[in-house]
Amino acid sequence: MYGLKAQTVASSKVTSKSAKPSLGVLPAQRRRHIRPFFFHIGPVALCIVCVLLISLMAVLYLSQVGQVVTANHQLQNIRNEQAALERQNQDLVDTVAQEQSPAYIVGQVQKMGLEPVDAKNLWVLQVPHLQEIDKSNQSIQP
Amino acid sequence: MSAELRRARSRQMIIFLLGCGGMVILLGRLYYWQIWQSGPLTLLANSEHTQNQILSAPRGLIYDAQGHLLATNVVRDDVYITPLQFSSDFADNYPAELSTEVHALHQVLPSVSEDQLNQDFGLSLQAVRVAQQVDPGQSQRLRDLHLPDTFLEPQTWRIYPGGDLASQILGYTQGDKGIYGIEAKYNTLLAGKAGSFTAETDLSGNPLTVGASSEQDPVKGTDLTLTVDSFMQYFVQNALQNAIIQLEATSGTVIVLNAHSGAVVAMAGYPTFDPNHYSDFADQKGCVGSEDVYLNPALFCDYEPGSTMKSVTMAAALEQHVITPDTSINDPGYLNFSDGTPTVHNWDDESYGKETMTQVLQHSANVGAATVATWLGPDRFYPYLERFGFGQPTGLFDPEDPGGYRTNTSAGWTKSDLTRQAFGQSITASPLQMARVYQAIANGGAMMQPYILASTNDNGHIVTMKPQMLRRVISADTAKTLTSMLVSTAEYNDISLPNYSLAIKTGTATTQGLSTDQTEASVAGFLPASNPQFVILVKIDRPQKTIYGGTAAGPIWKAIAQQLVLHYSIPADQQVGTQ
Repeated sequence: MYGLKAQTVASSKVTSKSAKPSLGVLPAQRRRHIRPFFFHIGPVALCIVCVLLISLMAVLYLSQVGQVVTANHQLQNIRNEQAALERQNQDLVDTVAQEQSPAYIVGQVQKMGLEPVDAKNLWVLQVPHLQEIDKSNQSIQP
Repeated sequence: MSAELRRARSRQMIIFLLGCGGMVILLGRLYYWQIWQSGPLTLLANSEHTQNQILSAPRGLIYDAQGHLLATNVVRDDVYITPLQFSSDFADNYPAELSTEVHALHQVLPSVSEDQLNQDFGLSLQAVRVAQQVDPGQSQRLRDLHLPDTFLEPQTWRIYPGGDLASQILGYTQGDKGIYGIEAKYNTLLAGKAGSFTAETDLSGNPLTVGASSEQDPVKGTDLTLTVDSFMQYFVQNALQNAIIQLEATSGTVIVLNAHSGAVVAMAGYPTFDPNHYSDFADQKGCVGSEDVYLNPALFCDYEPGSTMKSVTMAAALEQHVITPDTSINDPGYLNFSDGTPTVHNWDDESYGKETMTQVLQHSANVGAATVATWLGPDRFYPYLERFGFGQPTGLFDPEDPGGYRTNTSAGWTKSDLTRQAFGQSITASPLQMARVYQAIANGGAMMQPYILASTNDNGHIVTMKPQMLRRVISADTAKTLTSMLVSTAEYNDISLPNYSLAIKTGTATTQGLSTDQTEASVAGFLPASNPQFVILVKIDRPQKTIYGGTAAGPIWKAIAQQLVLHYSIPADQQVGTQ
């Protein structure tokens, strides 16, 4: 293994021995001496490293895709659950509204044996010296 | 150049040209598929792996004045089968599998017969709906069964929890569109805004929401709160129904208005319908059997108001100082005109002799009303009909029939029109228009715009409607004077409520071309007369047991008044005794 300086010296020696060196040799020597990294690495090792890196990236990518699919699945489940709960809520609101409707209440009251109040039997009591209720009283506003 | 060479070149040229021709054709096809058909093919390709959904917006809810739900939405499933898929999935053992499937479906959906299911499975269709709007329990059982080639399709339905409660106010919906009543008038508000959802799908068709997807949430429709009080509405509907059955009448209408604001507290018609099953009532008629039962008779069923109109005649004359309550006339029971106008008779042909204007109202004397109209003349009478809103829609909601009348500027008008209009003939009005007249009298002469929408809630943005005064139709003094005349009329007609003063006028209208016992009996008025809170109008069409306003509509008017007093704790305005 040579350092860059040593290689430069060696190549200059070869150049000095032959005035017209073969054009095919020099680029080949130069290629071999290319150092893409700060450390020496041969082509085979470079290939292996590249394959390993690509494999690692593929694994990472697949792992992420898997996580995305799982998240999507969870999201779908949550959405389905939300839809079911909303539906259940609507049903409950409807049930409450039905049971609050006057017809339902009257029906239930009659089942219990009670009778509706007959307004004709209303007794009005006069309380002396009672002050008039404020006309803005909300209780008589529909 | 040798002949052989020329032939060779010619062959080369032919081959070259053929090649060029082929290339041109190929380029043409490429242009056709890649450019000309690019759009549709792209859409087709995208549709294979892209899901586009329209997210329907939940329709706004409708509440009554107390916050009770009158209209809401629920999701119910429709049940579908896929006959072609089923026959291909179970080609080997089709009869046995079909029998099992049909039996299981029938167990869950007993309303669908096994014969019907067998018939549906025999159809050469991709999908057949076998049941609609199944209840939640049935949906769950079907889900648990995991029946092959059977699926549930959720659909949103509009539900009216009160059944027929206020149905002619609410209307109903078909699909997403409101039909009649509030549902139709405020359809744009209630409908909301649909959203959209676009996402790529996996192999099973499940949307990949994590990837490239876009979603625009639907905007829920605006919730509406009405001025209607469910309890009073229920009471009024029941009372009206019972009265119509008891009196063997054809139909009827009741309106209860807030005397100060013009808010509709209750508005009922009979016959009516259940909006949850509106199609079952398609062949039924309301409004004297002449209109669809879905229409609100308070707005659409106009009639000749009869003697309830005499209050308007008196109001016009009092306001213009033509009469006072003590102005008297001689009433021989008929009124002849020298110009050939047909003679006017009292409804009972009774001769009352000397009678005051208050007594004209008490006796409901046509002669007295016609006399007052002739004193007024058309120039002083018709402006008051216009002021009181006759012939003009109330604008509550559609459809509405504003009725009408002939004036001295109309073609074919005669003096007979004037005299008859004075006591409610030769003029038509809707029940709501008549209720509005009495609201104006009750409110010191200020006519309010009748309204039924109390507030809107647009996803938290609440807008409350304020009562609007339409116009002053008569002065407060005239209103007070007329009220005292109407109080006397109530007492005379023996329509009373202990400890409360009532201001009412009865009406018994006949229709031209029908026998005189086919009437439209009505009572309109308000209570308490000293501080009016509510206006009530009751109209009974063609009662058979008794045909007069006081006897047919009077009892139900009184019952509603009693219930209002009880429900709203209205203070008594007369010396209290015991009952």
